[in-house]
Amino acid sequence: MHGFGDLEAVIMHRVWEHGRPVTVRELFDELAAKRTIAYTTVMSTMDNLHRKRWLDRVKEGKAYRYTATASREEYSARLMREALAGGGDAEAVLSHFVAQIGSGESEALRSVLRKLRVRRPG
Amino acid sequence: MIPALAVFGCAIVMAWVLPLPLGRLSRDGVSPRLGLAAWLTAITSVLALALAALGLLARTVVGGWPSFARTVCESVTTGVCPPAVYRSAAYELGLAAVAFLGGITLIVLGCRYGRSLRRASLSTREHAETARIVGRRAAGPDAAFVLDAAPPAVYCVPGRPPTIVLTTGALAVLDAEQLAAVLAHERAHLAGRHHLLLAVTRSLAAVAPAIPLFTRGTAEVARLAEMRADDAAARRAGRGPGHERERRTLLTALLAMGAGGAAAPVPASWLPATGGVVAARVRRLAEPPAPARLAAYGLTLAAGTLAIAAVAVLVPVLAVTGI
Repeated sequence: MHGFGDLEAVIMHRVWEHGRPVTVRELFDELAAKRTIAYTTVMSTMDNLHRKRWLDRVKEGKAYRYTATASREEYSARLMREALAGGGDAEAVLSHFVAQIGSGESEALRSVLRKLRVRRPG
Repeated sequence: MIPALAVFGCAIVMAWVLPLPLGRLSRDGVSPRLGLAAWLTAITSVLALALAALGLLARTVVGGWPSFARTVCESVTTGVCPPAVYRSAAYELGLAAVAFLGGITLIVLGCRYGRSLRRASLSTREHAETARIVGRRAAGPDAAFVLDAAPPAVYCVPGRPPTIVLTTGALAVLDAEQLAAVLAHERAHLAGRHHLLLAVTRSLAAVAPAIPLFTRGTAEVARLAEMRADDAAARRAGRGPGHERERRTLLTALLAMGAGGAAAPVPASWLPATGGVVAARVRRLAEPPAPARLAAYGLTLAAGTLAIAAVAVLVPVLAVTGI
């Protein structure tokens, strides 16, 4: 079962794939071909995404044409900057499996890893 | 005045002295759970003592007023103003000023603390929401999302719902078993609600960065939480021979991620304050502490924790009863 959060992700991924302004109708047709979904659901989700500044829109005739405010890569880069600034001024509470480490420690770990590989081939 | 000073002095001494023995006892992470308890008890105790000192000061100020007022009245009605009145007035006003400043400081720091916590929770929620929209859902029961990014990174973002984020860089350096171990580690963070410990201590260190117990405590709590999650991930297969295997898998995952992390250059200012966290985790996964050492450290830590808590309770009580 897909919740609204999932639908937001699905719609954003489609908008990114299109790479050009799309209307609610276009996305609804695409989505309706794969699952049962109401036109109004797609419309309100895109409206939400616009309100949350994920989508820009321009009125064209009676309908809006939507574009993404930033590319997927830009969002990924932003997340990575936030995530990798651990210990700095990033405020989000994230628990890294391995926090960013110094090149000295990293080199030490690499040499341990090499030794392990030598001892246990495969 | 004297009791308030004694209690405050006790808080100051604890805030500066305790990081040394606690740091030594929890360094190798012999018992992360007891280590966490010790650090959190120390932090709470110092906060409680500082509050108690302020309370005692306020009590002294209020308690001194009647006699001060009587002295003033007597000097007005008799028409004489002996030096004792000046001295008493200066003393009472000075005390009141100190109590007032203390109260204001407490309120300001409290507000900043609340703001810091709120900001952290907000940006955490935003990060999770963005990751869930931008990432691709990974196969499997976990709510894990994959981001297209070269630096190997795996982390969890608390929130509703909690989200685990991994990069394509991490998928490239981990095999399936290692990935399962890493995900178990992150799940342990979420299940243990470690983010609450991190948020509470980090905001404290942000508000009062001059106090060693808070800054060091924050780093140690994060470190011990990692070790606790390591233990949980290694214990997935129970304590039998499978345990040994899980531990090794987790260890190689740590090494792979740690060694790969250098592929992306990291500015020195981004490094966490505590060096060698990964090395310490690798060491204790490679050579788990002997039962005798475990017992000795555990007992010392438990006794230390109880002693700290006892000081936090007894010192204000003794100060009030006037012993």
